[in-house]
Amino acid sequence: MTTGAVATPAPRYRSRSRLQHLTVQSAPLLLALIILAGMVALYVGLFFRQLSRFPGMFEWTSVVNTSMPLVFTAVGQSVVVLTRGLDLSVGGMMDLTNGFAAVHMHAGAGSMLGWSLVVLLIGAAGGAINGVLVAYARLQPILVTLASLSIYQGLAIKVLPEPGGSIPLGYTNILANPNGPTGLVFVGVIIAFWFIFRRTRFGVGVFAIGNDEEAARAHGTPVRMVKIGAYMVSGVFAACGGLFFAATTTAGDATSGDVFILTSIAAVVLGGISFFGGRGSAIGTVAGAFILTLLTNVLFFANIDPLYQSFFQGLFLVVAVLLGTLIRRVVRLR
Amino acid sequence: MESELSTPIPAIEGVDVSRSFGGVRALHEASFSADFGEVHALVGENGAGKSTMIKILSGVLRPDAGTIRIRGEDVDFRNPHDARALGVGTVFQELTLMPWMTVAENLFLRHEPRGRTRLIRRRELVDRAHDHFEHLGIQGIDPRELPAALTLAQRQVIEVARALLRDPEILFLDEPTSALAEQEAEWLFGLVRSLRARGTAVIFTSHRWSEVANLADRITIFRNGERVDTRDSLTEGEAVTLMTGRTIDRMYPERPALPVGAETVLDVRDLQGEHVNGVSFALRKGEILGIGGLAGQGQRDLFMTLFGARKSSGGEIRVDGRARRIRKPSDAIKLGLGIALVPEDRKTEGLMLPMSVRDNLTLAVLGRVAVYGVLNPGAEHEHVRRAVERLQIRTTRPTVQEVGTLSGGNQQKVLLGRWLLAQSDVLLFYDITRGVDVGTKHDIYELMMELVREGKSLLFYSSETEEVARLCHRVLVMREGRVAAELKGENTDAEAIVAAAVREFAA
Amino acid sequence: MSAIVASLTPDRRRILFALGAAVLVFAVGDVVHSGFASPSSVKAILVIASFVGYVAAGQTFVILVGGIDLSVPWVLNGAAILFVTTSVGRDDRAIPAVLLTLGLGVLTGLVNGVGIAYLAVPAVVMTLGMNGIMEGLTLGLSKGLTCNSCAAYAPKAVQDVIQKNVFGIPGDLLLWLGIAVLITFVLSATTYGRRVYAIGNNDTAAFLAGINVRLVIVSLYVLSGVFAALGGIVLVAYGGQATLGMGDPYLFQSIAAAVIGGVAILGGRGHYLGTLAGSVTLVALVSVLLAENMPDWGRDVVYGVVILGILLLYGREKQHV
Repeated sequence: MTTGAVATPAPRYRSRSRLQHLTVQSAPLLLALIILAGMVALYVGLFFRQLSRFPGMFEWTSVVNTSMPLVFTAVGQSVVVLTRGLDLSVGGMMDLTNGFAAVHMHAGAGSMLGWSLVVLLIGAAGGAINGVLVAYARLQPILVTLASLSIYQGLAIKVLPEPGGSIPLGYTNILANPNGPTGLVFVGVIIAFWFIFRRTRFGVGVFAIGNDEEAARAHGTPVRMVKIGAYMVSGVFAACGGLFFAATTTAGDATSGDVFILTSIAAVVLGGISFFGGRGSAIGTVAGAFILTLLTNVLFFANIDPLYQSFFQGLFLVVAVLLGTLIRRVVRLR
Repeated sequence: MESELSTPIPAIEGVDVSRSFGGVRALHEASFSADFGEVHALVGENGAGKSTMIKILSGVLRPDAGTIRIRGEDVDFRNPHDARALGVGTVFQELTLMPWMTVAENLFLRHEPRGRTRLIRRRELVDRAHDHFEHLGIQGIDPRELPAALTLAQRQVIEVARALLRDPEILFLDEPTSALAEQEAEWLFGLVRSLRARGTAVIFTSHRWSEVANLADRITIFRNGERVDTRDSLTEGEAVTLMTGRTIDRMYPERPALPVGAETVLDVRDLQGEHVNGVSFALRKGEILGIGGLAGQGQRDLFMTLFGARKSSGGEIRVDGRARRIRKPSDAIKLGLGIALVPEDRKTEGLMLPMSVRDNLTLAVLGRVAVYGVLNPGAEHEHVRRAVERLQIRTTRPTVQEVGTLSGGNQQKVLLGRWLLAQSDVLLFYDITRGVDVGTKHDIYELMMELVREGKSLLFYSSETEEVARLCHRVLVMREGRVAAELKGENTDAEAIVAAAVREFAA
Repeated sequence: MSAIVASLTPDRRRILFALGAAVLVFAVGDVVHSGFASPSSVKAILVIASFVGYVAAGQTFVILVGGIDLSVPWVLNGAAILFVTTSVGRDDRAIPAVLLTLGLGVLTGLVNGVGIAYLAVPAVVMTLGMNGIMEGLTLGLSKGLTCNSCAAYAPKAVQDVIQKNVFGIPGDLLLWLGIAVLITFVLSATTYGRRVYAIGNNDTAAFLAGINVRLVIVSLYVLSGVFAALGGIVLVAYGGQATLGMGDPYLFQSIAAAVIGGVAILGGRGHYLGTLAGSVTLVALVSVLLAENMPDWGRDVVYGVVILGILLLYGREKQHV
């Protein structure tokens, strides 16, 4: 920092206020929060119209508990999408882990804790396999995770051929407390995770790779290790998703995770993370997950046939992307 | 008392470095060295090997053969990071700012300030960026901005700032002033001089002779992948002769005079579009019209908008006297326009490298070599033969040979061949001699002259101002999406064009 | 021999390998289970492979331009249900039903294509969303497949076309062969095919050469929709009823078949003949394993491992310079 003062100063350029920067760069996240607020309002309104009262503790607890599996899986997906990748195997990982938990977990702190750790390790291992194939073998993420999805789905059916098994009550009380929305504590944990993630070399590396992988490499980012790490994060979070799912349903089902492939991507996109990587916030993804869960409730209270649920999820996904693109284009043209 | 026998150990050297790209030789046993406390200019034409040498010496590329030494010790760079660790800083021509990270984040990438918790202190990023800018005398670039909101010149300034953050003892600057106006360029020169005073080795490349003459203590000339000579000083004429191997008069062919009373083939009136802010000009039959100006002033946008590759939001384009709507490239092609764009580093915007020469050549005339959509191999072959012959494209079996395996010069010929086959009357040539060897360049110049003799018209842009000066009848200098000046006749030389380009214009 | 192989273009070499792999699987299968390579067994496997082959044809088209169609499962499923409910087993309704069903494929492909090409929605997202949309519509409109005509079979006339032997070869295989020839011709010998490859290799350059890139992309997704719908028709024409989830296995298999056949996932290279060979290899391989009494779950695992194996062999990205 000692180049000394230069004789000729460079010319001036215009500058903008701090608030302007914040809004411009966080526009997609703000949009997600606005949509979430709108969704909450819609839910409350339709609920009231149907039942002549506002949703109470039971309803909100149910919303939170039902959302948690998607929240976790989608946040994991976010990290991968930020590197310009994709993880289609999250569905299979959730299948596998919720089945595992249902089969093996017994009452007792030791069993619950121990098997939770085992499940998380499975998630990490699965993610590592994905990561190595993408980073070292340089295979396309969509192909790798499509293949590993198939593998994890197969293994899941092996572990739990028929829906069943059971989750100890104590576990459900911790993760999916039926008496109050304590699940929000875990949301807080995720927000803390995100805060820390963005301030680590690993996190910066993830964003850098999504921006411009070659340039990141030229700057010394250990691209391969970061990619493996990203897929491992996705695997671990999907495993958490599976655990929360098992806790909420108190049993296991080896095919129940498949729907999360679409919804995790939808939550990521809704939350404002660009599919091309490099920008966005997982906090938006959390909002996106809640939006999608509320959507199911909204459809219910609007008396729409539940068979049409996928239709609306699919439609929402496409509309969300279009909105996001529109927002970015408008913001850029100011 | 200094002994005459002691020579300082060079700061950085490349000794007998060779490097090829897919069979094309970029460097052939080339050597280069720079000393501490000197400003060393590396000159040569596009494709001479200077960029490749710089990339090798800064760790971006690995040499096929040869040695790199820093302070006399052999080193082996696996990546630019290794080079940086040894005190080498580089500012490349292709800017590498992360588009979705703020200026501050970009500045400190991989070197972010961390707190006791080992977590990055994000707020400090902005403060430190401010400090650094102030220190260097850069004013008014907000570190919280995204690169997309900045001009090319500002981004170039930031890249320089980033390189200087690490206090490099060896600094490479590849075309550092291509986008800078006079005031910014002066600032950079001041920086370079103070770095020299501190003992830094500064190596830079430039196409502007005035800069080279002004700043450089020593000048090294490259040609065709080899070092030709290193001198303390030389005239521009000598430099050109060394760079091209010919005297300047024989490098460029005789420009055919513009026929008197030639009709206007392309009449552009107040064209508006993205980064095009009201361009007007008339291109006459048989004319070569040059487009000049600093980098990033809308030249490329102008070409793309004319061709219909970008939306125009106002103004008129008149072909043969009538206003036409050009909303997409096929509209332009039907009107007799053709466009040839320079290949970018990683992907070319003209050619499909894995496809055959034939496929690439006939791409714009598929309708003419097919019957009801079914391709006629005989007709195709005939067209291909004509193009290969006319342009002397070196290819063994054009039907199967992948264009990617051809040399840069031959690739460019294939691209030009496509538009010859399309029988375009107005050709938009954008930096088509980039990355092309001297021999092919000469061929391309000759071709351009032939084309105008046949009555075609050309719009020509080149990053080498010398070419624009020598080849064009007139030159339009662009600034911020507008035509700021027009130069014609005998007064047009490279210096004049550059001077017009850097002059500050009132807003 | 090796000289001949070495002189082929990489594309042709991959097709050769895929064909060789198919032959190899049959040979090995015959060793493990004698009779595996008998004419009747081969025929049966080829028929099953044809189902994959139809869907994979559409997938090949979009992959050639670097896209992908994740909506095939429910376009197929929806088409199958649409077909049986509109034809309700009546021969006189057969042709209109076929046209209507293929029309469904056109419609979904059109929506996909417009979203991807004109609205800049990433292919993964658009087709994934479309899959959900089709799933919802199909489930909703058929009331979970409990509607009156949902359990209908395909009209006898259609079944005959697909199942009956002509000179000892099932009609379905003749259809597949005809389609293969047509697709190969279109891709290799027409201006349309040339444009498709150009776009797949460099869409910017193709645009600047005057090709209407967006329109071509839309047409490719339309083709993908049509072939997915065709797959639905053929599946029920093979004597079955429509079921829920019948399209799910075909997503993975259609992509795998193309990849095995040497179609580059980033676009620009590959031929349908390769996909055809890939379909056969894939189905033959699974049949061998099924004959080994491998349980359902094992098949999924094997699918995944096989695909990864093939990808490692020749699915890698180009190394950065």
